[in-house]
Amino acid sequence: MKTATFLTWITLSAVSFGWTEHFTFENIATPPGMDPQVGAMDRMPDGRLAVAFHRGEVMFYNPADGSWKLFATGLQEPLGMLAEADGSLLVMQRAELTRLKDTDGDGSADEYETVFDDFGMSGNYHEFSYGPARDAEGNLFIVLGIASNGAPMAAEIRGEFSEIGQVDFKGMTTSETWGKNRGPAGRMYARVKWRGWVLKLSPDGKTMEPYASGFRSPNGIGFDAKGRLLITDNQGDWRPTSPLYDVRQGGFYGHPASLVWKKGWNGGDPRLMDVAKLDAMQVTAAGYFPQGELANSPTWPVIIPKGAFSEGMAGQTVIGEMNQPNLVRVLDDEVDGVFQTALVPMFDGSPLGIGNNRMVFGNDGSLYVGKTALSWAGSKGMTKIKWNGKPFLSLEKIKALPKGFALRFSQPIDANTLKTLSAKRHTYEYHQGYGAPKKNEEVLKITGAKLSDDGMMVTLDVGALEEKYLHLIDMTGLLSKEGGKILGAKAWYHVVKAPK
Amino acid sequence: MKPIFLSLAAVLSVASAAPDGKQLFTIHCTACHMLDQMVVGPSLVEIRSLYNGKPDEFVKWSIAPQKKRPGAIEMPSQAHIGEEGLRAIYAHIMDVSKGVVAKKQEQGDPFAASPTQTVRPQVQRIFMPNASPASIAVALDDMNSLCWDAGNSRLRYAWTGGFIDGFAYWKGNGSSLATVLGTVKYTEQASPFGKDAAVKFLGYKVKGGLPIFRYSVGEQIVTEAYSPVSEGMGFVRSYAVVTKVPLVLDFPAQSGVSITTDKGKLEGGKLILTPAEAAAFTLTFSLK
Repeated sequence: MKTATFLTWITLSAVSFGWTEHFTFENIATPPGMDPQVGAMDRMPDGRLAVAFHRGEVMFYNPADGSWKLFATGLQEPLGMLAEADGSLLVMQRAELTRLKDTDGDGSADEYETVFDDFGMSGNYHEFSYGPARDAEGNLFIVLGIASNGAPMAAEIRGEFSEIGQVDFKGMTTSETWGKNRGPAGRMYARVKWRGWVLKLSPDGKTMEPYASGFRSPNGIGFDAKGRLLITDNQGDWRPTSPLYDVRQGGFYGHPASLVWKKGWNGGDPRLMDVAKLDAMQVTAAGYFPQGELANSPTWPVIIPKGAFSEGMAGQTVIGEMNQPNLVRVLDDEVDGVFQTALVPMFDGSPLGIGNNRMVFGNDGSLYVGKTALSWAGSKGMTKIKWNGKPFLSLEKIKALPKGFALRFSQPIDANTLKTLSAKRHTYEYHQGYGAPKKNEEVLKITGAKLSDDGMMVTLDVGALEEKYLHLIDMTGLLSKEGGKILGAKAWYHVVKAPK
Repeated sequence: MKPIFLSLAAVLSVASAAPDGKQLFTIHCTACHMLDQMVVGPSLVEIRSLYNGKPDEFVKWSIAPQKKRPGAIEMPSQAHIGEEGLRAIYAHIMDVSKGVVAKKQEQGDPFAASPTQTVRPQVQRIFMPNASPASIAVALDDMNSLCWDAGNSRLRYAWTGGFIDGFAYWKGNGSSLATVLGTVKYTEQASPFGKDAAVKFLGYKVKGGLPIFRYSVGEQIVTEAYSPVSEGMGFVRSYAVVTKVPLVLDFPAQSGVSITTDKGKLEGGKLILTPAEAAAFTLTFSLK
């Protein structure tokens, strides 16, 4: 008990305890004896939660009585799940998209139907499979992670091998010579089919269309409330920091390894292409999570339902994060029809902790966070977060302006604290290296901060915005008229398109 | 090492303020290194024991790491952080790990006794040796197990003894194969439908914990169910094939394996069945 008390004391003294005045954080007991790393979650039509674990169990958690019931077993690294109206579950596992069905009504799955498996597997550990996300027409979107040169491919692979690359099949599959081949193979590689691609499947899974390319380790895919297909990816090679993308058909999203599978590709090993040419091909990220500050390994996006959190957050997207002890809220904006976002920490400095891999909202508006580590830094089990209904100060909306930003808050602001606002911006170099430092970082001079008559809106003048720059607005010192601290005090706005 | 240091110096000439070791550590290292326990890489406590008082060696290793731990992943080069940054990270690591004792690592699989791991029969997808990455391990009972490959819709091998040890796979992120806990007694080199059969995996049903695999071979739809033999060692394989033409399946003889069929005749390693017989037939594989 001593440790627990000590930890509580640390939490209370070292950080703002603002979140805990408004939200409760409760650890949910997972079934005894089982590896409690959570890979996938969704809510069933009847309100139970379907939770998939690291060793392939799928269980139903009943929030009403806290009970767990085993539904299916033996899946391989399930990392995405979609509940269907008839009670069956679509689960993405390493090798395939599977439909789990209980055909005899005994409460456990007796059919594991292969919905789609027409993609390659090299046997490399890093080839995780993510999804599905379903659009309004019922089409399913999955996204396939690429291999890491931390290990070679397996001698036996599934599907076709791409000859495009510096190392041939023998070199790619031989452990003994991997030390010399791993460099030329590329930090991450996609030598089997559709790795690094988003695939669009017809509702029955029978037809597939390669939809978008350029992904690395996209551990988050989902539609936002406005029907945009959001995908997060992880900082690494060709990823200066972790990006958030609004994925459209035919787009290339920055990591070149997947290009070897582009129809008619004749650009040779994409890794050796002119970086400027690749840069011109890539779609600019709709958002950036600054590494080490907001998120190192962002995860799944979910939509905040009405009534779950404060009113202004309804319909917004919240994203999980593995390495920083917080979630990330997405504030969307559009300039000339171009989607771009500000990313804001959520539950930073709360008891939430790290390893926040999957999330789902329960019927009562509680947010359930499923945790994992998979040998990286992380955690395990499930945390339930519930808002107690007490209002708090937060940034609700942000709009890019020709000379700054308009910020709308959930409560009237104390005008005397406007002077504490500060702003900075930086950009990143796109390169093959692993991550990238901030580039051209500069402090922005705030030449005006005007409060609206109702006190809820601040117009911030910082001069013209710079495209492809991540603009930080630091609101740490901001107080509400009633003296409340702001929760989620920083907003990182990635300007894709600057308003004129 | 000189050329590396020289190129670093060039990078450093553009750097401005003194690097913040703690911040650099958070950005570049936290995903793999924790204070008091091994995660992907060694704990800070262990790094301290290896490098305390040896900042140059720490920097050298970080710029050009090599594989040194069996079962662990080789660290990617951290040259991009720059020598000055690496020295700041070094100072941070030495500082925070001072006087800290590493947590005891758990030995063996802490979840080996999980009800979902010990239940028999059991169907478990996992990376298996000598099969494609889309393999399925099946424990028919306490003694008899097999590896069925969803990558090419065929049985790969069967063994007797225990089931599998998947801990090396599960403790990490899938960078190891499962180990077969027993002796492989039967191996199939190709699908009984032929080496080049156009197969497509359709999934499986589970009945009483045992799998009934479903796949197509050209126009034919095949179901292939497995159960243990009632006595001794081996397995029973029950097929249902929807076909309009006679079926010829290859089951080459193997020493130590006796194969019997309830329909048609198995001669010279070939089983020939009429479409009516193919609709339901059962083979029994007895293993020594």
